[in-house]
Amino acid sequence: MAFLEINNVTKIFGKDTVAVKDFNLQVEKGELVSFLGPSGCGKTTTLRMVAGFEAPTTGQILMNNEDITNKPPNQRDVGMVFQAYALFPNMTVGDNIGFGLKIAKRPPEEINKRVEEMLSLIHMPGFGDRYPFQLSGGQQQRVALARALALSPQMLLLDEPLSALDAKIRVSLRAEIRFIQRTLGITAIYVTHDQEEALSLSDRVVVMYNGAMEQVGTPFEIYNFPQTEFVASFVGTLNAVQGEVLDPANQLLAFDGQTLHTAEDLSKRQRGDKVMIAIRPERLSFSSEGKKPNLIDCTVENITFLGSIVRVQVLIGNHKYYMDTFNNPFLELPKLGDRAEITCSREAVLILEHPGKDISLPAEA
Amino acid sequence: MRDRPPIAPTATVKAIVETPVKTWKRVRKFNLWSWIILGIGLIYFFLPLLATFEFSLRAIKGRYSLEAYRIAFSDPAFFRSFGLSMLWAILTIIITLLLVLPTAYWVHLRLPRLRPAVEFVTLMPFVVPAVVLVFGFIRMYGRYTFMVSIPILLIAGYIVLSLPYMFRAVDAGLRAIDVRTLTEAAQSLGASWPTIIFRVIFPNLRVAILSGVFLTFAIVMGEFTFANLLVWPAFGPYMELLGAKEAYAPQALAVVSFLLTWGSIGLLARIGRGAPGQGQIAGAR
Repeated sequence: MAFLEINNVTKIFGKDTVAVKDFNLQVEKGELVSFLGPSGCGKTTTLRMVAGFEAPTTGQILMNNEDITNKPPNQRDVGMVFQAYALFPNMTVGDNIGFGLKIAKRPPEEINKRVEEMLSLIHMPGFGDRYPFQLSGGQQQRVALARALALSPQMLLLDEPLSALDAKIRVSLRAEIRFIQRTLGITAIYVTHDQEEALSLSDRVVVMYNGAMEQVGTPFEIYNFPQTEFVASFVGTLNAVQGEVLDPANQLLAFDGQTLHTAEDLSKRQRGDKVMIAIRPERLSFSSEGKKPNLIDCTVENITFLGSIVRVQVLIGNHKYYMDTFNNPFLELPKLGDRAEITCSREAVLILEHPGKDISLPAEA
Repeated sequence: MRDRPPIAPTATVKAIVETPVKTWKRVRKFNLWSWIILGIGLIYFFLPLLATFEFSLRAIKGRYSLEAYRIAFSDPAFFRSFGLSMLWAILTIIITLLLVLPTAYWVHLRLPRLRPAVEFVTLMPFVVPAVVLVFGFIRMYGRYTFMVSIPILLIAGYIVLSLPYMFRAVDAGLRAIDVRTLTEAAQSLGASWPTIIFRVIFPNLRVAILSGVFLTFAIVMGEFTFANLLVWPAFGPYMELLGAKEAYAPQALAVVSFLLTWGSIGLLARIGRGAPGQGQIAGAR
């Protein structure tokens, strides 16, 4: 049995505002699962229901085989880290970290020892006497993490903990969070709207949209095999266009006057069925780089140098597509306006569920 | 690494470096105007007070003396009225705090939609004049002997009078901290409601609460209408009574009451400055 089970949980605010719809998830002990999605998708509401700050309208939450659905938050034994740090301004760093231990009526010697341990864990020894306002944002969030972990909770919940920090600190702190989570072996749920954060940190990612779970999988699965149009468009850059099935038996598709072979199963589809075709930019390459089954004629519209990657924008029919290639000083790139042939493997051609509308090309990175 | 020729300062750099006096003069001129404005303000506030103080020293013809202060302080009614007003002020403060703090906290945390209604209720003394309120009290509760034999109606009136000041002070304090997140953080660490309120929320409202406390104190100490119409020997009616029969002693009392109020404000500033973390607003920086 999983360590945390969220079974058929729905949350409705007011009369008819559905925040979370029929949410089901099982989290194993020691696993870090991210809830990823845009604002208003229900990820924070779900986390708050696990924390006990919101009660599900229907459904059940089990932790360690115990039904905690209606248990008050102060009895759930979960540590929580908030986006806004939420350190108590009137207390020192040491008092903040030791707050939960004092509530639990632990002896002062034990509290002091634990506070020192936690300060070492977050690489801030000697900061115990400072007040929160004397710390940087990154330091405050590390103290908040230490405070949440001081009681050795069964579970750690992190609600967009890095959103208020600048990019460089965000990257270093997320690595630190992951290291601490792995070291302690604590089960954790991490809420974020940042796909890079979710993909780099998590054992599994739950992509959410409109209160519902779109896809659950490892970061590798989520990125490489998106199952829905939303996941494909939200996670990473994606070329997506509406096409149709040309030959189900030979797994052949047509779009913009071109044909494509796919590795996807088309046996349940008919010739002429509309489908949403998706290809990641890095799965496309110029045909000279290797023989591949899909050759597509295009016109080079723009080339953007992004450091380690060169992004080429091409025109196929009336649609624009991106192609990413690793930067190579000896790479001969075509000129703007050149006709070119690009290619991709059969496995790179994905078919998304819920076809019917084109996904607009993402803005230039 | 190649040697570089020394860089000669450009004309602009030279001009900036060589004109510190000009910049200093400009700053000083600006400061002078600030001092003039401050001086006008101080004269406006202090001149009447100085005049009152000077007048209070003229009780003996031909020379300055503290005779008016001696007369004022030698009257047992002064100490009685002052002591009673102070006692009622303290009772008012305690009851108002018990009423306002949980209400304001709960409105912030759980019932933000009720804020306009609560704000309207606290504005009562600005909408209903004190004289109307006190006659309403007398008409409604005057028939109950126990209510007129103890200063319950007086304190109730004082509470209504102090509501807008106390509520706004506490409300401003609550707005400055992230009440909901702090509450939830404490809850997730196992804290019960009393612990959250007394160890997390209230300590971060210390300055706000003190502002409300001293405003309430000042209002009650100088209040006249309620005490006079409900016939309680408070400090306000005493000063009025003294003014009717004495010339210099009421001026001495006016100076003393000014000093008391300023003393309270000074105390507030001192306590507020000494509160660690009070300047920090919880949340992202």
